[in-house]
Amino acid sequence: MTAVLSARELTRSFSGLLAVDDVSIDIEAGEVRGLIGSNGAGKSTLLSLIYGQLEPDAGTIHFAGNDITRMPAGKRARLGMGLVPQVTSLFEDLTVEQNLVLGGLPKEPHATLSLDRAEVDRVVELIDLHDSRFIRAGHLSHGEQRWLEIGMVLLSRPRLLLLDEPTSGMTMAESRKTASLLRGLQASEAVQSMIVVEHNIEFIRLVSDRVTVMHRGAVLAAGTIDKVKANPEVQASYLGRLR
Amino acid sequence: MLSLMVLLPLISNDTALVERFGGYFLLAVFAISVDLIWGYGGMFTFGHAAFFGGGGYLVGMLTTRGGWFLPIPFWLALVAAVAGATLLALAMSYFVFSGRLALRGVEFAVVTLAVAVIAERLANAGGSVSGGQNGILLNSRLGIPGVISLNKGYGFYVVAALILIVSYVSLQRFIASRSGLILRGIRSNEDRIDLLGYDVARVKRRTFALSGSLAAFAGAIYYTQFGIVAPGSVGVSLSTLVLLWVVLGGRGTLIGPVAGAILLPYLTNSLSRGNLLDIWLVVVGVILVVVILVLPAGIFGWLERDR
Repeated sequence: MTAVLSARELTRSFSGLLAVDDVSIDIEAGEVRGLIGSNGAGKSTLLSLIYGQLEPDAGTIHFAGNDITRMPAGKRARLGMGLVPQVTSLFEDLTVEQNLVLGGLPKEPHATLSLDRAEVDRVVELIDLHDSRFIRAGHLSHGEQRWLEIGMVLLSRPRLLLLDEPTSGMTMAESRKTASLLRGLQASEAVQSMIVVEHNIEFIRLVSDRVTVMHRGAVLAAGTIDKVKANPEVQASYLGRLR
Repeated sequence: MLSLMVLLPLISNDTALVERFGGYFLLAVFAISVDLIWGYGGMFTFGHAAFFGGGGYLVGMLTTRGGWFLPIPFWLALVAAVAGATLLALAMSYFVFSGRLALRGVEFAVVTLAVAVIAERLANAGGSVSGGQNGILLNSRLGIPGVISLNKGYGFYVVAALILIVSYVSLQRFIASRSGLILRGIRSNEDRIDLLGYDVARVKRRTFALSGSLAAFAGAIYYTQFGIVAPGSVGVSLSTLVLLWVVLGGRGTLIGPVAGAILLPYLTNSLSRGNLLDIWLVVVGVILVVVILVLPAGIFGWLERDR
């Protein structure tokens, strides 16, 4: 398998506090990787380093054959990375359809602003917002806003989709629907690879079979969910707290 | 609005009034140029009179000053003024929107305010080039010499109305286009537009240049017809006044700023010479405060609130 993303020895600190400590991670084409860990473990910081919202103090990141370590986030997006951030970030005064169009339009500076309408129709069905497509995004429920955000990023046809706590603030029913949406994406190969940051390990089990556990900024364990759950260190530092 | 524009010259014999409305239409073009960047792009500008008045100044200098290749014919000066304003807007926007220190919000507003202050000071201190405190008397006349005069009365009204209609329809089409949607996305959530991969700086630069050139074009025609351009035309007070027109009508509605730029100057003009000679500024101020308190989105913003 070829690695879509390869991050090596990433380190990032804030005022002397190590948030990400010598982390290396490879994401293969077609892989959905779960990233779990307690609060402050460094999961979201790692995602921000990968997407370019933060620069690492040390280490390298390669994506689709390019060294993107110092590349701004917008350029990474144009290379095929998509981010669904932890805090919902939509165009609230624009309609659902306009949000999706903004997700799907070509981003290259000199590109013709063409768009495949059938693709927008397909995604609006996929995220189950067909009846709301002309409603302003700010009027949707929290769960619907999260799905719209996923749909928006999907329309940019990312090779690697980064999801930062996609079910945060969702009801159980909405979380299950989100898991089903992500499984659908995997099955339809709409997205090549995904990294899903989550607290909810049962949600991760539904969408991914490989996880990386982070603790105090470092990788504590990696492997299948069952293997990781059986790891005594993981049990002591993370799973024990969930019980 | 369109029917009112058509009806006014038909129902009024007052040539001065009709001509005055022609001037308001050009102010309305200035207002929609501000609405484009502030109402639709979220770039709050405190110095756009530098472009509106700058258009008048450039035409004035190119058509009335001597030396080298000057003076040049009005129509050539008009093209040069718009080109000059566009270049100035591009240069300015390159510095304020590009790079990691790209400005937005209050920081951008402060820079535009500084531009207006500098422009006014330059106009005052420009000696024989800018005419100093007296400004420049523009001697060009709109129209084709010996064929048709469009500088006064109904002729000017029609020219100004056509400029407003063409500018309005063009901006409306731009805003409804996909480029316009990206601009509205910047206003709504600039960080998200950036994270999606759009070149935010490029979109802002182009929009700012478009707005600056439109303001300069309207200003060049306005001051040519008015006959004089003075330092106040490029300064802070006119830059603030246009914001009031936009706020009153409703920013981000296009039609609102047009209404604001016609209503408020008309009201100001009418009140300042009636029985309210001594208190007209207070009356206008009270109307503005009431409208902004009751309808913070402006008149047309309120009318379009659920659309």
